[in-house]
Amino acid sequence: MKSTKFTPARKLSKEEVDRKWWEIGDFFRRNSLWMLMYCTGCCAIELPPAMTSAYDMERLGMGPMATPRQADILLISGYLSVKSLRRVIYTYEQMGEPKYVVGLGSCPINGGIYHDSHAVINQLDQYIPVDTYVAGCMPNTESVMNGFVDLMEQIRNKTANGWVKYKENYEWYKKNQKAALGEVIIHDEFHE
Amino acid sequence: MLLNILIGFGVAFFGFVLQTSVAGVNRKIIARLQKRYGPKWYQEFLDIFKLLSKRATSHGWIFDFGVIMALGGIIATAMFMPLTNNIVAFAGYDNFFIFVYLIAVGMLGMAMSASGSGNPYASIGVMRALTTMLAYEVPFMVIVLTIIKLTGFSSLQAIAIAQQASGANWFLIALPLGGVVGIICLMGMLGKKPFETYIAPAEIASGPMVEYGGKQLGMLFIMHEITVFIEVSLFVHLFLGGAENIFIFLAKYFAVYTVVNLISNVNGRLKIDQVVKFYYKWPLIMAVTQAIIAIYFGWVI
Amino acid sequence: MASIEILILILVASGILSYFLSKLNTTAGSILTIFSTMFVFASLAYYGFNDALVTTVNYLPGFSFEFTYLGAYFAIIVAFVYSMVSFFHPYFVEKYQYKNAYNMLFLLSLAGVLGAFFTDNFLQLFFFFELIVWTTMFLIPLGKSKSAAVSYFGFSAAGSFAMLFGIFVMFKEVGSFDITAGLASLSGTNAVLVFISFLIAGFAKLGVFPLHIWLPVAHGNAPHPFSPVLSGALVKLGAFVAVLALVRISPASSVISAISLPYAHYIVALLGSLSIVFGTLMAIREDDAKKLLAYSSMSHGGYIIVAFSLLDSVAFAGGFYHILAHALASAGAFMAIAAVARQTGTTKMSEMGGIIHKMPITYIVYLVAIISMAGIPPMGGFISKWLIFQAVIDKGLIFITIAVFFGSIGSFLYVFRPLAALFLGQEFPQFKKIKEAPILMLLPMIIITLLNIYTGVLPNAILGFINKINVEVGYAPMVIDSPAFTLTGYNGVLHPLLIAGIFGFGVVVAFIIFILLKKSRQVSLMDTYTAANFIHTEELLHYSVDFYAPLERLYEKYTTKMTDFYDGLANKVKELGKLAKYLFMSKYVEVAIFWIVAILAFLLWGEL
Repeated sequence: MKSTKFTPARKLSKEEVDRKWWEIGDFFRRNSLWMLMYCTGCCAIELPPAMTSAYDMERLGMGPMATPRQADILLISGYLSVKSLRRVIYTYEQMGEPKYVVGLGSCPINGGIYHDSHAVINQLDQYIPVDTYVAGCMPNTESVMNGFVDLMEQIRNKTANGWVKYKENYEWYKKNQKAALGEVIIHDEFHE
Repeated sequence: MLLNILIGFGVAFFGFVLQTSVAGVNRKIIARLQKRYGPKWYQEFLDIFKLLSKRATSHGWIFDFGVIMALGGIIATAMFMPLTNNIVAFAGYDNFFIFVYLIAVGMLGMAMSASGSGNPYASIGVMRALTTMLAYEVPFMVIVLTIIKLTGFSSLQAIAIAQQASGANWFLIALPLGGVVGIICLMGMLGKKPFETYIAPAEIASGPMVEYGGKQLGMLFIMHEITVFIEVSLFVHLFLGGAENIFIFLAKYFAVYTVVNLISNVNGRLKIDQVVKFYYKWPLIMAVTQAIIAIYFGWVI
Repeated sequence: MASIEILILILVASGILSYFLSKLNTTAGSILTIFSTMFVFASLAYYGFNDALVTTVNYLPGFSFEFTYLGAYFAIIVAFVYSMVSFFHPYFVEKYQYKNAYNMLFLLSLAGVLGAFFTDNFLQLFFFFELIVWTTMFLIPLGKSKSAAVSYFGFSAAGSFAMLFGIFVMFKEVGSFDITAGLASLSGTNAVLVFISFLIAGFAKLGVFPLHIWLPVAHGNAPHPFSPVLSGALVKLGAFVAVLALVRISPASSVISAISLPYAHYIVALLGSLSIVFGTLMAIREDDAKKLLAYSSMSHGGYIIVAFSLLDSVAFAGGFYHILAHALASAGAFMAIAAVARQTGTTKMSEMGGIIHKMPITYIVYLVAIISMAGIPPMGGFISKWLIFQAVIDKGLIFITIAVFFGSIGSFLYVFRPLAALFLGQEFPQFKKIKEAPILMLLPMIIITLLNIYTGVLPNAILGFINKINVEVGYAPMVIDSPAFTLTGYNGVLHPLLIAGIFGFGVVVAFIIFILLKKSRQVSLMDTYTAANFIHTEELLHYSVDFYAPLERLYEKYTTKMTDFYDGLANKVKELGKLAKYLFMSKYVEVAIFWIVAILAFLLWGEL
């Protein structure tokens, strides 16, 4: 005979409460992604078709926002020279958590057609964590939209953890940044 | 008294839900005009709740305190707003001037916290918002002076009931010049193009909102939605005769907001001194002419 | 002390005593000033509210005093501002050139104020008026510039002599110098002459267009602890004389029937509205915080003139309440700026920034003061502005409405500028070490802040007193307390306690929402959005110079017209003097004798 003693529901531990909070938050976060209007290289030309009537980005809930404090996604669209990488790192650290990085084009993956230049970095993943890559030079607008949907799927499956990786491996990222750039925040802005 | 406070809080909450839904539906309408699909109708809710769930950055106690004062002031203002002839929290005390000046408390709180972030773009945005306020308030006040003098009341509910009396027309028809001025000043109040100077995302990096993220930005969005609710309801009660029941109120509210949104979507943005020069030319002349005609000659349709 | 005359004598005696005491030790003289002003204010308030002030004269021959609610109201407000400001003296007086005389002149001017408000005889009024002008004239140049005193004295002297002319015209018609009896029995052209001359005196003291040139010069350059007194208390003398002229002289001209106002009062209201508009526009451009608050006093003086020229009991209540609210708000703002000036050494807003992080209590004092000055609930300024709006709308005056609302919204602009440019924004490195003001300076500022809030939330006690003044000058009292805690205007009912309560409820709801969400990450002020540029100097990120530049560009060509007009007038008077000197007093003796003989012959022509 089964016991009729009342078994109270198990009290959730702090991590589980926090996780449930993040789960509800994940539904809102993947359906309303705001990207920072920061166009680093040539692949930025693929953004206007994505935003306007043909491949409407707004039906996914995405939209452009003006400052890093307000934005969720940092879109690295194209190659990054050494000068731009300093600004990108500063901007990435100014954003609020949780934050995601999307690399458009082949240049963030392995340097693309500028892979042997002295002023361009080759692998973005060494300096800031990247969640989604969209390969191509430059990628089709349908690929860009596919990349955004992929990021939303990653958020749903809780694998878009670039910002957690950055916090946990902070020294490793800083070591790579110092090796490539010398110093990230420069003090004489007119003579780099 | 406790029942009144609960009814007031219910009105404020209803206003927030109503305006957020209407704004979402409007985004879809504008998108269909531009031959694309547009977001879901509850997209604005998703935006606000996403913001409330992020971890933000803060620049000190004045940054947080200003946001609390702004949202608190606007909730307090919305609690006085009458919805229909019967739903009003504090009957007889919903004076028109309370709405104008309590919104100013909200704006002052937001301005304090924006300047307290230390970013010059925020101070520039606040300067432009205050200058725009100086521009659109004066013609609007002249028209409201005419309305108050004609009906003899300054309580919103009483003005709405006076327009519903048999033989009386809505003030949009009875004071035609005044109605046009009212619509132009409403566009200035809502911050819609061509008077969107204070946000201006491409020129001053979204003005006062430049350093906000996370819960402060979410609370400011809630404040903006409730402010839009108060201003459009003000227009409905003053010029369109209020509402006898809630469905007529929803219909009039939706019509006003959609018309204003459609007009603003085909306009560009004016510079700030063009805004001041515009409002002090034809709207002021039309408002003064309407006031002289209505008060001293008595020619009301 | 219940006798007015004893209070005045106490003030004079303690003034002379403080002069000698300051020669030994300046702080002792200042502390004596604090005690004597607090004592005078306490006795005035206690006996004045209970109608128990004694007016018999035992020691001063030829003087006579009279207790009126009007005079008592003004005197209590002015004495309160004096007593609060006297707490600042121990910290400021050491640095002035004639520090021994500072406290003496301060106390003597308060004695003049008491005498002026409680007198019933016009010649005495003139005597006390001149006593105030002379003592304050010697206080102003202790600040920054000596020519400020010349400008102040010129306009005050013009006002006093216009008032003397009006007094003598009245004496010629009525035969006595008594205030109430004399003003009530004027008629015809004499009434118009007395009306205009008293108005010139009132405008000159209040600083209303067109006699406003001295306001920014005098208030901006006065010593820091004296500006709150000048702006909060002494301009109310002008309001007192204007009330005598506008309210007590029976209508001096024919009535415009459409708005039921006499012509003369409508023109005065128009001048008041021009003062509101010009004061607001000039304040928006100013970079010095004290000059900005001086132009704001000009604008509020315009509000007071508009309120009193409407001949309406709600407008009178609004005007009297505005005198109280403006005195408190202006004193609070000037005192906050004085505290900042003591710690940083400057009042120019373009040189300072981020002061709130080191002086938060001064910031709160300034914030409450400007909320009241801008007329925003729940502070006192909203009540008076609401009453003035009720009266203006009920009479249907369109152009005055435009000016009144323009001033009300424009005041948001200029009161926000010191807040954003001086207290908020980036912190400058040279001010990173300053400290909060000392506790004895914070105490009066906190008291004034609490009073600012009290006058906005529970106005009915003061309005009851104002109703007594309304009855005294011959108008019906305003309707208050029906239902409880409310004011009734002509087209609406206001419930200030409800507004303040609901505002508090809203803030509590917002605070609960704020607390329940995730805690924010604290970052420094320089870590801000700069489009990812690396900026390390604070001046580049602080927006304070030319704050309202797009608006100023629209009218900056017209800002010097009034000062140019007065300069031209002064030049014409100098030319007239040079002409007279050339004609009548040349170096040849024969010319002088010729003119003397000619004039005597002309005067005696009829007698011969």
